[in-house]
Amino acid sequence: MALPNQQTVDYPSFKLVIVGDGGTGKTTFVKRHLTGEFEKKYEPTIGVEVHPLDFFTNCGKIRFYCWDTAGQEKFGGLRDGYYIHGQCAIIMFDVTARLTYKNVPTWHRDLCRVCENIPIVLCGNKVDVKNRQVKAKQVTFHRKKNLQYYEISAKSNYNFEKPFLYLARKLAGDTNLHFVESPALAPPEVHIDLAAQQQHEAELAAAASQPLPDEDDDAFE
Amino acid sequence: DPNAVAKAFVEHYYSTFDAPRPGQVSLYQDESMLTFEGQKILGSQNIVAKLTSLPFQQRQLQITTVDCQPSGHAGGILVFVSGNLQLAGEQHALKLSQVFLQTPSVLMLNCVFFFCLQNCGIYYQNTTLFKQKY
Repeated sequence: MALPNQQTVDYPSFKLVIVGDGGTGKTTFVKRHLTGEFEKKYEPTIGVEVHPLDFFTNCGKIRFYCWDTAGQEKFGGLRDGYYIHGQCAIIMFDVTARLTYKNVPTWHRDLCRVCENIPIVLCGNKVDVKNRQVKAKQVTFHRKKNLQYYEISAKSNYNFEKPFLYLARKLAGDTNLHFVESPALAPPEVHIDLAAQQQHEAELAAAASQPLPDEDDDAFE
Repeated sequence: DPNAVAKAFVEHYYSTFDAPRPGQVSLYQDESMLTFEGQKILGSQNIVAKLTSLPFQQRQLQITTVDCQPSGHAGGILVFVSGNLQLAGEQHALKLSQVFLQTPSVLMLNCVFFFCLQNCGIYYQNTTLFKQKY
């Protein structure tokens, strides 16, 4: 869904809403995609900046109109207008700030109230930071709600394409869809310790086979 | 001149957001109510707790208009404020509106704060579903 003053395209395009606490890196994340950053448009009457992010798949081009707020989420929830007609979503939290993970269920509830049954990716951002407060194995919310989870680091571009690939596959109904070309990304500002991150990914995979904690344990310690 | 008084009051009111603000408590009484982005909050302690929890400290506020009217028989004043709020770390300012009802005994009897955001100014693009197209 483009803004009225924004160019539309003749290939499939989808409105992607990005939610999550202020400061989790939503804006930093969408700004990595350079052509999207170049073509972004701000709409002050909605308080939203829309970045058109193009990806190249084996089935042709696909565009995500990524909706990013002007910071109003720092004052509470977002208005319904932000969510309306959302076709896919990213919920972001910051692995270095526990509270942002604790608030994920609220963002998920708000999102699903308006957008029923859309594909959603949960992203734990800032995994390049040494001092994580939310360990990979502690992230269980996505398993309860049937979401996809990725660990990302916006500043290092780590896993940047993963959420978009997952959403593109869901929207296309084709699990074999793949990207054939990488979009131009801003150069990494930090470098991630890949060995440590592989360890986290392994913990995440191991945790996936463990039983889920009880609902009562949702309050994340 | 009630307008001048109201303007002076509004400036004072917003200046109390800059610093840690025990001073804000005195603006409200137990019967004061704040509606903040749709959430109703009653009583001075609750109101100040809510305002303190918000990221107002690092921000720039630009007041665009202040309008006021005498209200009722008791010397009340209704004030309407519009302006722009620029938050730290954000590129774009948010438009805001705020309404106050003041009485001689309670400086802030009623207060409504909201961001001027339209519900949706978008239109439907002729979106072909991916799976239909390929």
